[in-house]
Amino acid sequence: MSGVVEAREISKWYGEVLGLNAFTVSFGKGITGLVGPNGAGKSTLFKLLIGQLHVDQGDLRVLEEDPWNNVSLKRKLGYCPESNQLYGWLTGEEFVEALLRLEGISARDAAKAATAALKTVGLVEARHRRLRTYSRGMRQRAKLAQALAHEPDLLILDEPLSGADPVARVHILDTITDFSREGGHVLMSTHVLYEVERVTNNIVLIHNGKAIASGDIHAIRALIDEHPHAVRIATSAPRAVAEALTGLDHVVSMEFPSPQELLVRTRRPEAFYRELPGIIVDRSLEVHGLESPDDSLEAVFRYLVG
Amino acid sequence: MLVETAGLTKVFGEVRAVDDLSVAIPEGAIGLVGPNGAGKTTFLRLLLGLLKPTAGRGRVLGHDIFDGIPIREQVGYMPEHDCLLPEMTGIGLVAYMGRVSGLDRNTAMSRAHDVLQFVGVEEERYRKIAEYSTGMKQKIKLAQAMVHDPKLYIFDEPTTGLDPRGRREMLDLLRLIARSGERNLILSSHLLPDVETICKHVVILDGGHQIAAGELQRLLSGAGDRLRIDIRGNYGDFARHLTDAGFEIEATPRGLKSPRRPGLEAEVFRAARASGAEVRYLGSEIRSLEELFLEILDRERAGGR
Amino acid sequence: MSISLPTYKLRETPLLGRRQRVLAIVSTGLRREFRRPAAIFAIGVGSVITTVTSIVLLLLAPLLLPGQRLDLSFFFLPVSSPTILFFVTLMASVVGAGLISDDLDSMAISLYLSRPISHGDYVLAKAAILGTLVATIAILPLMITAIVAGLLGLFPWDVVLPAIGVSIAVGILLTAFYTTITLFLSSMTRRKAYAAAGVFAITFGLTVPVEVLASQGSIGNPVLLYLSPWDNFLAVARVAFGAAPAPIDWSASLGILLLIMVLAGLVTNARMRSMEVVAG
Repeated sequence: MSGVVEAREISKWYGEVLGLNAFTVSFGKGITGLVGPNGAGKSTLFKLLIGQLHVDQGDLRVLEEDPWNNVSLKRKLGYCPESNQLYGWLTGEEFVEALLRLEGISARDAAKAATAALKTVGLVEARHRRLRTYSRGMRQRAKLAQALAHEPDLLILDEPLSGADPVARVHILDTITDFSREGGHVLMSTHVLYEVERVTNNIVLIHNGKAIASGDIHAIRALIDEHPHAVRIATSAPRAVAEALTGLDHVVSMEFPSPQELLVRTRRPEAFYRELPGIIVDRSLEVHGLESPDDSLEAVFRYLVG
Repeated sequence: MLVETAGLTKVFGEVRAVDDLSVAIPEGAIGLVGPNGAGKTTFLRLLLGLLKPTAGRGRVLGHDIFDGIPIREQVGYMPEHDCLLPEMTGIGLVAYMGRVSGLDRNTAMSRAHDVLQFVGVEEERYRKIAEYSTGMKQKIKLAQAMVHDPKLYIFDEPTTGLDPRGRREMLDLLRLIARSGERNLILSSHLLPDVETICKHVVILDGGHQIAAGELQRLLSGAGDRLRIDIRGNYGDFARHLTDAGFEIEATPRGLKSPRRPGLEAEVFRAARASGAEVRYLGSEIRSLEELFLEILDRERAGGR
Repeated sequence: MSISLPTYKLRETPLLGRRQRVLAIVSTGLRREFRRPAAIFAIGVGSVITTVTSIVLLLLAPLLLPGQRLDLSFFFLPVSSPTILFFVTLMASVVGAGLISDDLDSMAISLYLSRPISHGDYVLAKAAILGTLVATIAILPLMITAIVAGLLGLFPWDVVLPAIGVSIAVGILLTAFYTTITLFLSSMTRRKAYAAAGVFAITFGLTVPVEVLASQGSIGNPVLLYLSPWDNFLAVARVAFGAAPAPIDWSASLGILLLIMVLAGLVTNARMRSMEVVAG
């Protein structure tokens, strides 16, 4: 039992409608991105994690406890829902304070914690303005502030960047990264894959109620055999480079998309990258560019989900 | 010119939403970006003729923005927010909007079917919109913007709420429209990579002003291009090899950057072999639009206004 | 996704003008209303009951109202029937309350106003939809009654023809009033229930208490009747039909009604103009 979240054969049904189906995964240390198509089971998973729903089958542990009806566990969680409906008439400060008071924290401590949280997310100047005057980006940050204010161990964020402008996005991602660096864990779901890649390499890919992949993006990518890893090499002598690489048995194919490029597909990217510098130096090959166009979360998603 | 404005200003009480804005936007695919409160929304409303400027003038597709109706005849607008009539069918709504734009009944119906085919709505078009998924609703929004075949499309956050596949499909559609040649589009979005893949030209607003504009490629290939190297493995030794060979380096989250000089690339591979590190990326310090945008914003705001 | 379709050639046909665009909104709107059960009920039952009660009144007039002269002033009676007031209110609240508020709620207003029509066109189209439907209760039954009276020979044609004309005129006044007021209320809120409640309040909240208060048994001051739209309307109708005048001055009543209509229209227009079509 090493993960922050341990799910074993979790199933959750709404009548006939699938929520999660024998969902098994262990994840959560540091920052983990949760990605999947709409309807895959992400909201169900979140509701189970925060104890709003109970599993129909299977075993779920969050921070080593069962989340259902678990008040003491909830104190260690910070949840940032997707919905943007906030109490418009409250100011930013009142909003965070009120939710803190619900945790049982005293008024004075709540005020202090609220201000600190708002400062962390960069809303300290706007804290006396009413929430209804906040832009989308500011609302996202306000929600993040209330999730952070009671110093949880685990942040659960549902689409925290949706609708936020680039400036707000930087603030939010920085806050998440700082939180993780100080020892907290973060679960973040988003549809915008490049946002996840910016902060972490750990992902869980959910599809049809199951976890179809979890772990490091690049490790997952390397395992997707049907789509050998593509590497684009920019060189003035592509044929010479191609010749040098034909000896490698894991190279599946080579193409010349342009007179200055070689596109190699390899079944074992780890081996390829390890051997490449040696080959280039030994044969004095002139290589001035190297990139892997499909070693991304976007590609992983496309290959596994479609 | 697609859009020209001179001294365009719109004041709401104390707020100068658009402040002395003078732009010249060429035809083609244009990205409109800016932080919240930059005036993008107000600017678009002014362009559509739905707001009267406090001062200044503007022209869209050759028409003065003072009278919005001739402009809106040639504009297709895809709003960010939910705006569909839930009890109408997909085909019903698109054909209806075609008629409200001035198409006769038969043309509207025929075009509506064509457009729904293009965006990928098949039999669902006969069902009520209330039953549609988010992705399908976005497609209907796109379809109603296209049905009267406008010369200028305005897309406001077209990928909101779409899952990765939906987002990819939507961007593919927008790209097709952008590349079709005779059509222009203005894409307003906070997702700058979307803007990068579709637009050739970008306009950056902040505080009601235009703080930068120009062809995307030109803006991104900034001066002082450095080589970016992403590596896996022994960073310390690798970096040391390079500095020992006389190259300046600056660390990045995934490796390092170094100003281009002759022999740098060859040295990179030598250093990699010697230190046992793997080179995972070698190429321009490609600045993304997002980095560029934040940089420009910082510069403007620090410059004190 | 189908990208096998070649990308579009630009449309060659010119666009139809604003009138046709407005008519498209009106015809689609009417067609939608005629598909809704509540609207069909209100229209069907409302117009039938109103017509039938008027015709029954017509036939039984000599019996029920021995003192009533059989001239133009008779036709005031069907107009003043509470069934008209009730069904006009019902129609306005069932159909009209949602006309603009539904578009505000779904934000479909953004789609409309991004089209080459003006705010005024939009309001005009909605008014045409509601007005047409209200007219099936406020004008049609009265017209039919008068025509039936003529056809059955109960009244001479030189009475019936003016009766038809005055019924139409007076019906238009009532239609216009309720259309304007309902659209105004509908534009003020996203929830059509509130707008509907508002329409009911104007009719029953004003008419009944005011009539009670104005009557001899209570405060007894007829000036109070100016507060009730229905009584204002009746005052004008009385004069139009040559019936016995009301306790209040008809020209003041007409003025009040017109003033309210104009104000409501202006505010509705202003409200539409301020709508957020492009969201932040």
